Amino acid sequence: MSVILGYVATILVTFFTYNIFTLGLNIQFGYAGILNFTVITFMAMGAYFYAVFVMPPANASNQVFYILGLHWPWPLASIAGVVASGALGYLIGLIALKRLRSDYLAIVTLATGTLLYGLSGDNNKLFDGWAGLFAVNQPFQSVANNNPNTFSWIFVVISGLVMLAVWWFANQLYSSPLGRSMRAIREDQDVVDAFGKNTFKVRMLAMVIGSTIVGIGGVLTIQYIGALSPAGWTTGETFVVWAALLVGGRGNNIGAMLGSLLVAVVFNEGTRYIPQVASNPNLVPDLRNIIIGSLVILSIWFRPQGVLPEKKAKFFELPLKDKYAQTFGGSKADQDLVVEV
Amino acid sequence: MSNVLEVNDVHVAFGGLKAIDGCSFTVEKGTITALIGPNGAGKSTMVGSIAGAVSISSGSITFDGNNISSLPTYKRAQEGLIRTYQISREFGGMSVLENLLVVRLGQSGESLINAVFRPKKSKAETNELVAEANDILNTFGLYRLRNEYASNLSGGQKRLLELSRAVMAKPKMLLLDEPMAGVTPALIEILGEHLLELNRSTGMSMLLVEHNLEVVDKICSRVVVMAVGKRLAEGTLGELRQNRDVVEAYLGGEVHERVGG
Ligand SMILES: Nc1ncnc2c1ncn2[C@@H]1O[C@H](COP(=O)(O)OP(=O)(O)OP(=O)(O)O)[C@@H](O)[C@H]1O
Ligand SMILES: [Mg+2]
Repeated sequence: MSVILGYVATILVTFFTYNIFTLGLNIQFGYAGILNFTVITFMAMGAYFYAVFVMPPANASNQVFYILGLHWPWPLASIAGVVASGALGYLIGLIALKRLRSDYLAIVTLATGTLLYGLSGDNNKLFDGWAGLFAVNQPFQSVANNNPNTFSWIFVVISGLVMLAVWWFANQLYSSPLGRSMRAIREDQDVVDAFGKNTFKVRMLAMVIGSTIVGIGGVLTIQYIGALSPAGWTTGETFVVWAALLVGGRGNNIGAMLGSLLVAVVFNEGTRYIPQVASNPNLVPDLRNIIIGSLVILSIWFRPQGVLPEKKAKFFELPLKDKYAQTFGGSKADQDLVVEV
Repeated sequence: MSNVLEVNDVHVAFGGLKAIDGCSFTVEKGTITALIGPNGAGKSTMVGSIAGAVSISSGSITFDGNNISSLPTYKRAQEGLIRTYQISREFGGMSVLENLLVVRLGQSGESLINAVFRPKKSKAETNELVAEANDILNTFGLYRLRNEYASNLSGGQKRLLELSRAVMAKPKMLLLDEPMAGVTPALIEILGEHLLELNRSTGMSMLLVEHNLEVVDKICSRVVVMAVGKRLAEGTLGELRQNRDVVEAYLGGEVHERVGG
């Protein structure tokens, strides 16, 4: 029973954190059209920086090395992690958003992500190299130690609440004039530029907000698991988030949520429970990638907008004033259209 | 009368091709001035240079008394200089109404804090803009289509949207690149009237690139003729019809007889 309870809690936390990643990517790609191909790097940045702020100084005699080790209380360290991922978003934005359009930008994000991946793996002074950080201080540490299931369910509530807050934020942004500017930039950046908006600033905002949100998910991830190594944030993980957004419906936050459920939970987690084949240990992970890859291809082929496509904006409207109709003959133009266009 | 726009010895080259080769002209404040010329004369390139999308290699452009030659595109638009495109560039994945709403500058909900935490204020503002946008859409015959995705409009309807959206931006000056191309003759006349009315009621200056000389004749007080990247002539359409170079380069005998007769 308690095993099942713990399992359900883990599934829920996975769902909530992936949903946070997907919402972050949706703001970048679904709203503003920014092709961020290194989503998961921001997760890692949030997680690592939370860790090095919350942990005590590294103990060299254990052959464990990492920067900082400030031993801050977990709420402050959480903020530090989130700020770090937002700051990384800003830096990558400076390189990628100033001059580059979509495809080149995608390459820059991919390259930067790969670079950071290699750097943090090969340089064990940063985040303990390929071994990664473990025994990271968790919130409610004593509960986590003595009563893992209780901790898990506390965490379900915490990550659920954070996810709801992010969801609310994303929706507020979407329907606002700022969100509208982002979507217009997605449609045609030059035109938005020609109408007087500082498109670099708006795109940068989307980039930083998205990175910050993904960083929030990263902090939650490491708080729940208590460890993170580079193996946990490979390019494949970025792909899972992308798959969730594309299958669910880019530009639609409920779609993003549905996509995280389908891809990150049902397919990604579900396939982990296919029995291992001893002679071929890579079979199951490969199978998982094949399944998710096929899902993306099928979805782009048959439902390019995703399962839940972006919704059309609706506005509160008063009946039309007829002053133009009188002075300009506007209704005449309307009639002409009916007949001729 | 002062000039709202002064184009002074502008040069633009695409690789080896001199698309604009030392072109100068002015637009008087509050007027509708036409920019005509044969295909490939450099008219669209000129519109792009004035708006900032095309960078000029030499010369200067003055708008409303300020040299804007080195301003980025969006700052020129903020000064009140708005252009339309010869080939429609609607925001396809947004509704027609949203296409208009998005272009108005200075909305409070464009700041992140207001967008997320003060949605009431921004919603009230948006409601007013919706009413304003619906008026404009009605004027240009798109009211019924306001909730349609812009990508679903017909070619001609997209031209109308292009115009409506530019008007929604409330510019001091409009740069219109063949706004009537692909629009039915009956509607062209109506659009011409709308532009004239807009010009009279708000004093909005316009530079109108147009091949339809009847429209030019009706609504433009002055005409600038471009050919091979240079200004060939300037004057009223009547004067230009007497100009041998212009007739040879652009108007042609046929047009002369039909319009001038
Ligand atoms: N981006 C570009 N790259 C290279 N050449 C270009 C570019 N834009 C325009 N040109 C060239 O510059 C010249 C002027 O083109 P432009 O579009 O300004 O002509 P136009 O007067 O608007 O013609 P039309 O009446 O057909 O619209 C043409 O020879 C065109 O081929
Ligand atoms: Mg042209």
